[in-house]
Amino acid sequence: MLCEKCGKNHATTHIKTVVNGFVKEYNLCPYCAAKEGYTTNSLAGMLSSMFGEISSGELPKKQTKCSVCGAAFSDIAKTGKVGCSECYKVFYNELLPYLKRVHGSTNHSGKVPESAPISVKEKTETIDELRNELTRLVAEEKYEQAAVIRDKIKELEEKE
Amino acid sequence: MSNWYSKSAPMDDIAVSSRIRLARNLKGIPFPSRMSLEQRRELNKRVKTAICESNTPFAKSLKYIEMRDIPETQRYAMVERHIISPEFASKGQDAAIILSADESISIMIGEEDHIRIQVILGGLQLAKAYDIAEKIDNLLYDSLHFAFDEKLGFLTECPTNLGTGLRASVMLHLPALENSGEIDSLSNSVGKIGFTVRGMYGEGSKSSASLYQISNQITLGISEKNALDNLKIITTQLIEKEQNLRNNFNKLKIEDLSHRALGILENSRILSSEEMMNLLSRVKLGKSMGILNLEVSPIKLLIEAQPFMLMQKYGVMEADERDIYRANMIREMLCDI
Repeated sequence: MLCEKCGKNHATTHIKTVVNGFVKEYNLCPYCAAKEGYTTNSLAGMLSSMFGEISSGELPKKQTKCSVCGAAFSDIAKTGKVGCSECYKVFYNELLPYLKRVHGSTNHSGKVPESAPISVKEKTETIDELRNELTRLVAEEKYEQAAVIRDKIKELEEKE
Repeated sequence: MSNWYSKSAPMDDIAVSSRIRLARNLKGIPFPSRMSLEQRRELNKRVKTAICESNTPFAKSLKYIEMRDIPETQRYAMVERHIISPEFASKGQDAAIILSADESISIMIGEEDHIRIQVILGGLQLAKAYDIAEKIDNLLYDSLHFAFDEKLGFLTECPTNLGTGLRASVMLHLPALENSGEIDSLSNSVGKIGFTVRGMYGEGSKSSASLYQISNQITLGISEKNALDNLKIITTQLIEKEQNLRNNFNKLKIEDLSHRALGILENSRILSSEEMMNLLSRVKLGKSMGILNLEVSPIKLLIEAQPFMLMQKYGVMEADERDIYRANMIREMLCDI
């Protein structure tokens, strides 16, 4: 499909907007989309552009594909969307640096479903308590004590 | 049954609504972007069965609806009531939703994730909204066994939701802060600690009627409790700032501003969406400062006078015609006290 604006380039950006109560659809090429102000400002968009930094040219020719959904890492990099839950195992190492950039952490410290092993639960609960303590110490401006707690959290997070 | 925006709620003079969203996915099937039609239908069925056959009293109050059975106007009216996301409304066909009678609970099936549990309540009620969402989460987990990883938490289609899968947001009415020009700098500082400030209809939307949504961005490495506590602290601080600024206002000017706004709303014959939003924002300010004695909630009016909400009630029409219906409806609602 060609871009509706310039009629020259391939349309890659599909926009659905609601203007005055009516749904309108546009198909634009990346250049016209950017000109119209439809840049990828969402987090998913940012993510795909971050993936894009390394995925251009650097990927090996023979790509690993996820056995459940068939996605390759280049698919994930292009869309900013992961194919299925199994992909997180298959592409764990590739995804890790981006998760770190987006969240500043690569370790879950929230709710753990009932069926998970107890050790996981205990670990996340401890980290959680330490984080609470850290917030409290920072609020009280006790930075030296806060640094000790921060290192403890780091240590726990890095432990396998 | 009245909606979340029809009832009065704690702190609702400034805090309009509190919303919790949990993103959950099933093991062994692709995320929605890569799902086949058959897999979508199967997913709808599995979630429906999980809720309906749980036999809990609260599950009985929930209703399963396929999006294909809802006309487009009604779907976008649901967006305007904040029950579903705009993306979900445009998906239409093979998605489904499970909805409570008062619409405070909506479970979107086949949105960006397999399941999105949403709870929306009026005022500042984050903890209560989370409790309800967690109950549904536990109920569904029993039969669906969500994709969960020890290190990465709940697995989601977009890595930005990984971990808790929790997006908590509060909608605030901040006319005084907006007037002071501080919103941008506040939004920057809130951004540095992992929160974001957006317009009324979420990502990419502009703010109107001085309504702002504050929500958490980070979901990995932070517990639900901490994310909620932090959001509550930020919200409380913003409310305090707003209140201080309001107290320093020239009272007579606010009286003038809000009475004039109400006067126009009670008398206009043609009312655009934008004008309606601006006027109702002033009326809300006057009401919460005790200047206007009004029984009807300005937020209820604001939502019910949105384009698709009007068309759901009066039929599909052009914008010009809608402006006339809008003016009439608002006049009736204001005089019907």
